[in-house]
Amino acid sequence: MSAASVRAEAKRLLAMSLEGGVVSADLVGAVLAALTKSRASHQLRPLLRAYLANVRRELARGEARIEHAGPLAAADADAIAAHFSKVLGRTVRPVARRNDALLGGFRVRVGDDVTDLTASLRLANLAKSLS
Amino acid sequence: MTFLSALLAADTAKAAAPAAGSSGPLGDIIKLFGDFGVDGPHLLVQVINFAILAFVLYKFAIKPALGQLEERIRQAEQLQKDRAAAEAQLASAQKTAEAQLVAASDEAAKILADARNSAKAAIEAARAEAQAAQTEVIAKAKAAIEADRVKMMNEVRGEVSRLVVETAAKVLEQNLDDAQRGRLNEAAVKQLAR
Repeated sequence: MSAASVRAEAKRLLAMSLEGGVVSADLVGAVLAALTKSRASHQLRPLLRAYLANVRRELARGEARIEHAGPLAAADADAIAAHFSKVLGRTVRPVARRNDALLGGFRVRVGDDVTDLTASLRLANLAKSLS
Repeated sequence: MTFLSALLAADTAKAAAPAAGSSGPLGDIIKLFGDFGVDGPHLLVQVINFAILAFVLYKFAIKPALGQLEERIRQAEQLQKDRAAAEAQLASAQKTAEAQLVAASDEAAKILADARNSAKAAIEAARAEAQAAQTEVIAKAKAAIEADRVKMMNEVRGEVSRLVVETAAKVLEQNLDDAQRGRLNEAAVKQLAR
């Protein structure tokens, strides 16, 4: 299989794994079971790798990964997730992780989009503007 | 000689007879000549001898001598003409040489003046070029110094900024407590909502 056909097949498998626009664990399990039965091992490896990357990307698209300094109230995390759900037009759930090196504020990653409202970024921008 | 002797003898014998019988002034004259030893036959022989001698002399001595003399005269005249021509040629050559000398002198003076002018122009050009090069070098040096200064200033400014920000970050990291960080997070949430 060529790389292009592998990518196309992985994309098709990802579409089969979605339920209501969200990755379903049951559907993923069914897809993997069908693949192991129908494909030879030498064809399966690159296809599974591409399928895994697609699933990860899709899961990341549904998560708002929030890095924050200091405590972040659950209500604030939900408010952040609601904001991105509204902006992106799909349901996004919050995943928070504390990182005090950010000094203050938070950085949110949804898929490939990053929104940075941290004090460390402001200080870095200040240093850049001064130099 | 035999013929001449016989002729003289015959003439002498023939002359003796009329002379003895003649008289008058003519006879006296003849007698007078005879007394002086001059008689017709001898005179005739002398005349013939003289004529022969004159002819021989003219033919073999005088005429060649005259020819040579004329040749010498002609050569002298030719020599004179040649000399005059040579003198004229010499004068002309001297005049030409003098003219050439004057022309050469003028030409040399002109060349010398041109050379001086060229040298002066070359010196001026070299001086101007050196001046321009010096100005360019100075300008480049000034530009390089200015660029270095600006670069150093930027480096210093960047380094100072980096140190200030790092220090501020460390100070904030050490001094911010959870309450302050929580307030910052709330402010960020409000900012996101706007």
